[in-house]
Amino acid sequence: MVAQLTPPLTRAPARVSGTTAEHLVGKKRLFWPFLLPALALYVAFLVLPTVATAVLSFTHWAGAGDTPTFTGIDQYAQMFASESFQDSFVNTLVYVVIGGIGTFVLAFLFTTVLRDMRGGKLVRAILFFPNIVAPVALGMFLGFVFKFQPGKQGMANFLLEHLGLGAVKFLQPENVTWAVTGSIMWASAGFYITILMAAVDRIPPYLYEDSDLAGASPWQKFRHVTLPLTWDVVGVAGVLWTINAIKIFELVFVLAGPGTYSPPIRAWTLGIYVFDRSFGTQGTPEYGTACACAVVMIALVSVLVVLLRRLMRRDAIQF
Amino acid sequence: MSTVELRRPPRRPKPAPGSKRFSPLRAVGLTVVGLFTAFNLLVLYWLVAASFKTPVEIFTDPFGLPKHWFALGKPFRNFAYAWEQAGFGHAFLVTVLLVAACAVAIVLISAPAAYALTRLGVRGANGLTNVIAIGMGVPFQTVVIPLFVGLAKIHLTNSLFGLFLVYVALSIPFTVFLLTGFFRSLPDELEEAAAIDGASPVRTFFSIMLPLARGGLITGLILNAIGLWNETLLSIVFLQDNAQFTLARALFTFYGAASYQSEYGGLIAGVAIVVLPMLVLYIVLARRIITGLTLGAGK
Repeated sequence: MVAQLTPPLTRAPARVSGTTAEHLVGKKRLFWPFLLPALALYVAFLVLPTVATAVLSFTHWAGAGDTPTFTGIDQYAQMFASESFQDSFVNTLVYVVIGGIGTFVLAFLFTTVLRDMRGGKLVRAILFFPNIVAPVALGMFLGFVFKFQPGKQGMANFLLEHLGLGAVKFLQPENVTWAVTGSIMWASAGFYITILMAAVDRIPPYLYEDSDLAGASPWQKFRHVTLPLTWDVVGVAGVLWTINAIKIFELVFVLAGPGTYSPPIRAWTLGIYVFDRSFGTQGTPEYGTACACAVVMIALVSVLVVLLRRLMRRDAIQF
Repeated sequence: MSTVELRRPPRRPKPAPGSKRFSPLRAVGLTVVGLFTAFNLLVLYWLVAASFKTPVEIFTDPFGLPKHWFALGKPFRNFAYAWEQAGFGHAFLVTVLLVAACAVAIVLISAPAAYALTRLGVRGANGLTNVIAIGMGVPFQTVVIPLFVGLAKIHLTNSLFGLFLVYVALSIPFTVFLLTGFFRSLPDELEEAAAIDGASPVRTFFSIMLPLARGGLITGLILNAIGLWNETLLSIVFLQDNAQFTLARALFTFYGAASYQSEYGGLIAGVAIVVLPMLVLYIVLARRIITGLTLGAGK
């Protein structure tokens, strides 16, 4: 009996380990066939074009029919000196930094309220809604809101006039940056509220109950409970914000301009600058300059993201 | 959430010492949340109401109900104008087909890649995942010029197939990143059980892992569909021919003409045609959309 039983017992584990080893090899053989289509498209449509843009940024090129000529850093020098680039750069920074601070302050203010509010989920869903609307449609809608035309006032001026206050030319070049900053904050707040709320919901309620018992004010609860325990998520949300805010294009293009061609230079962003110099121009395109600006965009993303990660770095809190 | 609801009743009658009902921060917060929510609802109401109004009504009576076109017995006049004259009907069809084809292709390509990166135990896969994830940070403006020049050489500009390729390729970083999260969260045991039962690695992937990651795949489909439905920059660059316009592209072109002719009714109907399908999708799938979009950030 014993002699009969032992052989299969010893053989069985050997066979199993044999198949798992084979299986592991078989699995590893799948790696490239599974990854290759995605990786090939990634390299062909993202990596190589980024390199090409970097190379083209050192050339002068008027687009189809012209050949790129190497000009060194001339494109950059001319671009940095031009008023249109300076305005685009400053506006983009305003949207990223001031719009970002505004959005996050707003989002945090909302988390203090939404945390224990009845119907909070419904409110969150309503606040999130602008994020699934095409930016080009949002821009047009906001164009109606901010329209200034006596007798045909947009919604904002309609209300201002009915309240007995004067109408404001929101979309004049000197005001448009701020109108856009406010619009972006409105449109994107819902997304960041949702991210932060997902983190806030994971904080154990007893921490807030403890602070209540200790007599903490809402500000203290925010400062000593909410903020430290959501810090990592705030960091990731900040990175997402930076990435999204730097490429702002359609919303400003449509809101500040006539739609068919570029808005006044005072309202430009880096994204509009690239578009105007390449595909949106009514004269000869300047692909070299457009590429130089595109390189500035990706450099700005990288610098700001690295900077943000540095600033936000600290030891993880376990809870 | 449920635990918070359960704990609330005992807390109500006995407020903790020192926690005042009306703190300034909370009062400000409540006001802002209230105003914000009311404004978003007002925006939706305005959009739907205005799409049935005449230009005069839109500006002189922005918050009232539409009357003029209803009185004339042509309530859908603006939608008919946008759908037929401005080409939104055709664009709608093009967009639905293009977006559906792209979303399916993106997930078909990204799911095996995400699986390979998370579950095959290949060294260096994590680094490669990060390399692909970095692609999410590349602004489209950075790649659009070489892409346009390159695709023009092989006659794929001003072509829906060219746009299809661009959309699929540029959506891969986000989708792979999203799906790696889903595959990583699946238990090892099922995969091991399948291997012991003699299933080949390919079969394990198709009949065990893919069905398990179904939630992630559907989320990937929906998020890409929404993103591409709304995409404008690339459609402006890669489509010049009216017959191939997507909705966002058609809206962009119609904007200039409509403002010039004061065809505001038709324009807002056009905006509504772009926005309302997403609203319906959102009402049906709000939870999945929100958790999907915020998943990457929450982890």
